[in-house]
Amino acid sequence: MAAKDSPLKQFEIDPISNIELGGYNISFTNSSFAMLITVLVITLFLTLTVNTRSIIPSRMQLISELMYNFIAQLLSDTVGDNGKRYFPFVFSLFMFVLIGNMVGMIPYQFTFTSHIIVTFALAAIVFIGVTILGFINHGIKFFTFFYIPGVPFYMHPLLIPIEVISYLSRPISLSVRLFANMLAGHTLLKVFAGFVVSMPFFTGVFPLAFIVALTGLEILIAFLQAYVFAILTCLYINDAYHLH
Amino acid sequence: MPQLNPEFFVSQLFWLAVFFTFLFVFLWRVSLPRIATVLEKRQNKIDENLSSAKELQEQAMEIETKINDRINKAKLETDEKIKETINALQEDVSSQLSSLDKDLEKKVSDAEKEILKSKDDQMKNINNEIANITKLTVGKITDIELSENEINKVIETHKGSFN
Repeated sequence: MAAKDSPLKQFEIDPISNIELGGYNISFTNSSFAMLITVLVITLFLTLTVNTRSIIPSRMQLISELMYNFIAQLLSDTVGDNGKRYFPFVFSLFMFVLIGNMVGMIPYQFTFTSHIIVTFALAAIVFIGVTILGFINHGIKFFTFFYIPGVPFYMHPLLIPIEVISYLSRPISLSVRLFANMLAGHTLLKVFAGFVVSMPFFTGVFPLAFIVALTGLEILIAFLQAYVFAILTCLYINDAYHLH
Repeated sequence: MPQLNPEFFVSQLFWLAVFFTFLFVFLWRVSLPRIATVLEKRQNKIDENLSSAKELQEQAMEIETKINDRINKAKLETDEKIKETINALQEDVSSQLSSLDKDLEKKVSDAEKEILKSKDDQMKNINNEIANITKLTVGKITDIELSENEINKVIETHKGSFN
């Protein structure tokens, strides 16, 4: 497929300004720009809407409060009282992924959550953090996490490796889930966008209608994946507190 | 696939670290405490209003019971007063009636006495008249001068017969 028309062309990174630091290429790219937009949108929205700190909230303030309560509820449901300490992190993670996905839905805007390196880095932060947390809370006993009680003893040689592998694959599943969803959705949109142009006469209307519907679905998925990312993070934090 | 091209991995990780760290610190230190204070303030306000509403309700209940007490008291008082007044009036009426009765009785008895007295007087007058007439008649017919005592005596003896 010609590189120019490829549906994957949208995922290419273009440096906006070339920066090099200690021999590493840390150019500010279109991906970095999308991150900047995301961070600006989140910080400005959450700051400006709550600026008045009014007891009777404006509509915009209500949205900020709803997001706050949404994640606070999620944490208290899954982790309980221990979860309050991780609220800023989980909230930042949720908002970063959510708004990153939403910014990606703007036409011609780059989707940084469709890059495995970005989602993997986020998942790795969660994985490493949770593992450290588990060792802080339980010390060496954290390894009993892989030991499932109430199972016949001869099953353990089979179950313990499975548990270890499933634990180690958490960052991969977490990152690939988000990455693959974004990649597939945006690729599909692009493919159908190509049909709109290439189909004869008015028949291009049909893929266009499909794109419209798909855009709605993609917005839903953008929210859903951010939610899944946040809720899995909560569950992992809960695991670090409560072993089997 | 551009995602697997390691050319920009370091750049991606670097800027991700920069922006995500900034976002995390900013939300942690600025945005979330703000929202938390707003929510707390609202909760406090709601609690305050609820407690003051409860207080006011209690006060209202107290006042209501007081009002009811007073109404009951006033009812009892008025009932008593009505009874008292009725009693007083009845007594008054009966005493007045009895005094009227007495008055009337007295008047009746007085009148009876007067009638009796006037009857007596009349009787005496009649005696005198009879005596006079007798004296005149006897003097005209005969020449006997009768003394008043003799005449009275005769009258007294015959009194019963013309009564």
